[in-house]
Amino acid sequence: MTHLIFARTVATLGIACAALGTHAADFSLSGNLGFNTDVAKVTFRLDADATNVNVWTDSWLAGANFDPTAAVWAKVGTGYALLAEVDDDDTVGAGQGAFDAGLRFASLAAGEYLVTIAAAPNYANGPLLQAGFAFDGTAPIALAAWMQPSANPNFPDQKGGFWNVNLTNVSSIAPVPEPSTWAMLGAGLLISAALTRRGRRALR
Amino acid sequence: MGRPSNVKPARTGTSRRDFFKRSGSAAVAITAVPMLGFGSDASAAAANAVFQHGVASGDPLADRVILWTRASPIGTRSATVVDYVVATDPALSVVVAKGSTKTNVLRDFTVKVDVAGLQPNTTYYYRFTADGAQSPTGRTKTLPVGAARQLRMAVVSCSNFAYGYFNVYQRIAERADLDMVVHLGDYIYEYATGQYGNVRPCEPANEIVTLADYRARHAQYKRDENSQAMHRQHPLVAIWDDHETANNAWIGGAQNHTPATEGAWAARVAAALQAYYEWMPTRVVDASMPRRNERSYAYGNLVDLIMLEQRVSGRSEQLDTNIGSASGYFTQTGAYADPVRQLLGADQETWLFSKLRSSTAKWKFLGQGVMFAQLKVAAAPNAAGGGVFLNSDQWDGYQPARNRVYEVLKGSAGQAPVGNVVVLTGDIHSSWAADLTPDPNNPNPATGGYDPSTGEGSLAVEFVGTSVSSPGVNDPNSTVANSLKPANPHFKYIDLFRRGYMLIDADASRCVCEWWHIDTVASLSNIETFAVAYEVRDGSNRLAPSVQTPSRMNPPVLAP
Repeated sequence: MTHLIFARTVATLGIACAALGTHAADFSLSGNLGFNTDVAKVTFRLDADATNVNVWTDSWLAGANFDPTAAVWAKVGTGYALLAEVDDDDTVGAGQGAFDAGLRFASLAAGEYLVTIAAAPNYANGPLLQAGFAFDGTAPIALAAWMQPSANPNFPDQKGGFWNVNLTNVSSIAPVPEPSTWAMLGAGLLISAALTRRGRRALR
Repeated sequence: MGRPSNVKPARTGTSRRDFFKRSGSAAVAITAVPMLGFGSDASAAAANAVFQHGVASGDPLADRVILWTRASPIGTRSATVVDYVVATDPALSVVVAKGSTKTNVLRDFTVKVDVAGLQPNTTYYYRFTADGAQSPTGRTKTLPVGAARQLRMAVVSCSNFAYGYFNVYQRIAERADLDMVVHLGDYIYEYATGQYGNVRPCEPANEIVTLADYRARHAQYKRDENSQAMHRQHPLVAIWDDHETANNAWIGGAQNHTPATEGAWAARVAAALQAYYEWMPTRVVDASMPRRNERSYAYGNLVDLIMLEQRVSGRSEQLDTNIGSASGYFTQTGAYADPVRQLLGADQETWLFSKLRSSTAKWKFLGQGVMFAQLKVAAAPNAAGGGVFLNSDQWDGYQPARNRVYEVLKGSAGQAPVGNVVVLTGDIHSSWAADLTPDPNNPNPATGGYDPSTGEGSLAVEFVGTSVSSPGVNDPNSTVANSLKPANPHFKYIDLFRRGYMLIDADASRCVCEWWHIDTVASLSNIETFAVAYEVRDGSNRLAPSVQTPSRMNPPVLAP
């Protein structure tokens, strides 16, 4: 289940960029992973070549949630190619903790990109997204029941599935719903439609 | 499309593993800067910097053991990837397990891996890698299952960095034929510099109270080269006594804790135990109750090693007396006779009694902190009041609780007696061997007493080990020790003067304890002396003189 938080957190920067003919701004997006095999996906777009594009998580929260790994991919044809993957770097943005992930790009060309958030060490299998992730094909384990390899060995933590990713100086972002989310959304629509029809019948 | 022109391909390593080692650290995988390339000299220096606290192992079971290190951070980094490898040879060429873990600033960069899937009764060698640096190679050993011919281990306690050098640890490190080392507590001391020992200054210089304080003190102890040597060669089974928190701790406070200036006791205990679990190769018993630390180890069917927690989980407050306070001598009256007062706490007591009664091992070892035997300054049979005692912090201050243990040993209420119990004790910086009997000054075994000439009436034995470095009594000619013997006929050996350790050698027929003493803690020294040996034979439950046991032939080679 993914819930979305869109926020233009630095309006002044947006205005400054607008003066330069771009529409870069800062965004945050959050959601929840249910299982150790889950990979959250967020696309972002650069309408023009951009500088200082930063991507970071701040949701580890001293072990309240899973230890995330983040990757940024560039759209190439119909697929995505890996630009960078990081497990731990808490020097990129405010609010990060030791096991949060962060990536800095001094400059990025205009185009479409993808951010993936997974539970470490569910790293990308290679330079192309279609190669999948390390845990693909393994039996999913609920994060709450999983002993993540980086969990505190003395007082096991990192049981929460919440994630939050922040991006700076990008034009727009959009979540990529998981297939399961599409299925739930579809089911929800069907139920909603059925109830609506039933309601109409009741009103007659 | 948006293919960036300024970004190099991510995958530059020769293998996926290399790739993730980069991506797993704080470095970004796309960086064009090469990884830190240590030359041989630089590599050694880096190893010293990253692994300056050495390696350790502990809490072995038949199929797993805890491996420990600290990966000191380079710069201001807050997370570090640490790889480990376990092998059956010291060159680490026959690898049986390897993996990757992480640590971070919230854990003080300590690393603890519970490596499972190992073979029983097997010696392993291990090493950590982080930031291009390699740790020293450690050696450890799993417990046997089923028939186990022999257990040979060292027992230590009371290692006070300020009071002197850990020559004892070095002697133990040099013994290749040990199965494990047992530390009975006071692994660290909480005092300020010069407050209790002035051979070496303390870090921090103040009495430790906060989490940062306890961490810094543990770090100082782990940088000691003799301690590192001992940890590198043997798995450790450790319990804390009081000084891992504060002197004469009990569940609700401590003699050396002042709430008005040092804050809530619960907060201090929490800080102390967090640092303890971070810095010790110890498996947490119950993450929801860190104060619980009682646990047991099956050394095949030869020994059940039962380790007790006697400070902060259930102990009632000590009554108002202690060693050195002549006016504080006490008799077993008033509050001392109150059966509600606990040393272990009711839950642990139930657990212990169940363990003792259900054990099928030849020997039952109780690893614990404070002396179980009576220590009197004036003798009297129990029927005449039991005499005068001097240390209310040991079991003497909790006689009803001690009597409940004796009832289990004797057998009662339809329960069979429990024999072949050996109590292993630290705490008091001196060497003792005792027959354990509830009424040592009653010479008639037929009425529950004890015959000191034959040992009849003894229900178990106790071996008390002296300190690694903490001070004893200035009694080089045993004048004080001898003065204690008339009132305490159950003690067969007392030395109050020397530092050292116990060597336990148990097989199916007997359990021998050798006391080994060193010459000094004022400086580094490699002199040790065999002092004495006592043994308890299968089924006898009483001490007998013994001799030095032979070293094992062809033990697994020490770690390099």
